[in-house]
Amino acid sequence: MALLSVRDLTHTYPNGFQALKGVSFDVEAGEFLVVIGLSGSGKSTLLRCINRLIEPTSGTITFDSADVTHITSNALRAHRAQIGMIFQHFNLIPRHNVLNNVMYGALGYTPTFASLVGKFSDELHARALDALRVVGIAEKSSVRADTLSGGQQQRVAIARALMQHPRMLLADEPVASLDPSTSHSVMSYLDRINKDMNTTVICNLHFLSLVRQYATRVVALKAGELVFNGSPHEITEEWFATIYGEDAVEVEIR
Amino acid sequence: MKKLLSIVIDIVLGAAVAALLERVIAPSLADVQPWMFSWPSIAFIGSASVCWMLLGLVFGASLGRLYIGLEVKEGTARTIATHLGLFALSTFIIGGWIVTDISPIEFLSGEGLQGAGRIFGALLTPEFDVIGEALSAMVVTIFTAFMATVVAVPLSFVLSFPAARNMLGTGLLAKTIYIVLRAILNIMRSMEPIIWAIIFSVWVGIGPFAGMLALVIHTIASLTKQYSEQIEDVNEGPIEAISATGANRLQVLWFAVVPQCVIPFLSFTIYRWDINVRMATIIGFVGGGGIGTLLTQYQGLARYHEVGTLVILITAVVWLLDVVSSRIREALR
Repeated sequence: MALLSVRDLTHTYPNGFQALKGVSFDVEAGEFLVVIGLSGSGKSTLLRCINRLIEPTSGTITFDSADVTHITSNALRAHRAQIGMIFQHFNLIPRHNVLNNVMYGALGYTPTFASLVGKFSDELHARALDALRVVGIAEKSSVRADTLSGGQQQRVAIARALMQHPRMLLADEPVASLDPSTSHSVMSYLDRINKDMNTTVICNLHFLSLVRQYATRVVALKAGELVFNGSPHEITEEWFATIYGEDAVEVEIR
Repeated sequence: MKKLLSIVIDIVLGAAVAALLERVIAPSLADVQPWMFSWPSIAFIGSASVCWMLLGLVFGASLGRLYIGLEVKEGTARTIATHLGLFALSTFIIGGWIVTDISPIEFLSGEGLQGAGRIFGALLTPEFDVIGEALSAMVVTIFTAFMATVVAVPLSFVLSFPAARNMLGTGLLAKTIYIVLRAILNIMRSMEPIIWAIIFSVWVGIGPFAGMLALVIHTIASLTKQYSEQIEDVNEGPIEAISATGANRLQVLWFAVVPQCVIPFLSFTIYRWDINVRMATIIGFVGGGGIGTLLTQYQGLARYHEVGTLVILITAVVWLLDVVSSRIREALR
């Protein structure tokens, strides 16, 4: 049984835009799945349906044998808590320090009142520092998050996701606002988390060179439909033209 | 030849409009006699003629050309609209002049200037015997404003979330709450604090407490609006990120929304206290206590030297608070 199973998934936004049109695929535990496609092809919507930041219009999403397509309240929060997510713009809490930002990853497991008055246990502190060590940025723990560079902020965001002990990590264009060398550093942390901690990763990416280097499998979306599902080496020039359009030229990132 | 005729028509039209304003509209608004062939009348009618002529020659909106059938640069509709607009504007200005009793003669007459001399003389030679009384009244005013702000802030904070469009979701209930709350706040804000002060001075009696309550109402309405607009402006990213950790609604508010708002909220609050001190002074005039009440008392007794002291004190305090609050807000940025 696959860890994640997506069947006939559609999502239509209130303005009538159909972002996903019947997408189906499975993800096995331990995979590093990369989702490619043009901007607006539905990649972000897909990720947000998986951790249910967005409710699908139809179809089903099964995670760990549980149907999560339309769950609400406590079940929804428990589902989100076991899936970490990182974003193109990092989405750290500005003005709060790095350690606190990381601890917020555990909000789903922390009683409301204790968290609101800022009572995070010693164990959480220790775990947050551990998570920061994993991404090699523990020395910045008391620095304000918005003073860090982009690459550093993304590593803090990864640490925040690690606080959830995630079964799966969703990464929405994690390197799209970083420079090439920083991109590799961030991708290699995701790779290490995938291999060393056996965390399944689903990652939206733009650069095919990164896809070939890190993905164990690739799916491609085009205008809300799944047009490719296979290994990264199978993406030939014909496939590239199909996915990105005839005029597209591949850009290398080294 | 036709051109000349069109200019003549414009001039006559201008004179006609001016005459209409002076002879018909002005007397109908108030009991004023038309000037009738006096110099001001001739000047008024003459300048209107020139205006109408220039309107045609310079701006290409000539009714004369339109009437004769010549080409009009601005087009028919715009030409007519321009003339109607200009006519309405002149009517309003002349009407306003009459209704507000504007009288340069009283402003500049010998008697008037004597009065001005008296009051300025008194204000500039303040009687400092009242300074003790004035200072303690000023303290009352400042604390009236302070307490009003302190009471209003937590209420505004709580109300600002349901009053923000992006916080309650898109359900029917949420929309209803939002609209009702916004409507109530708008009504609360539309009623000036001075009116609330009159209401509360009957309710709890004349004094600083009535003034404070009046300010509380107005402060809640204003701060909730400012706070909620700030909330509507927050970056969605952190909200998504905190939601994705499995946090509940309250945790999302506290950890993703509030941190983005704290500094602007503080800034609004300090500015509001600053405004409240000024308003507390005015509210004192209608029974809100403090320096405003003292000022009306001395003014009623025509003791303008004492009034001078109070005016100096109020100006100094308002200026000082303005400087301090803008410095603090600057530093917060």
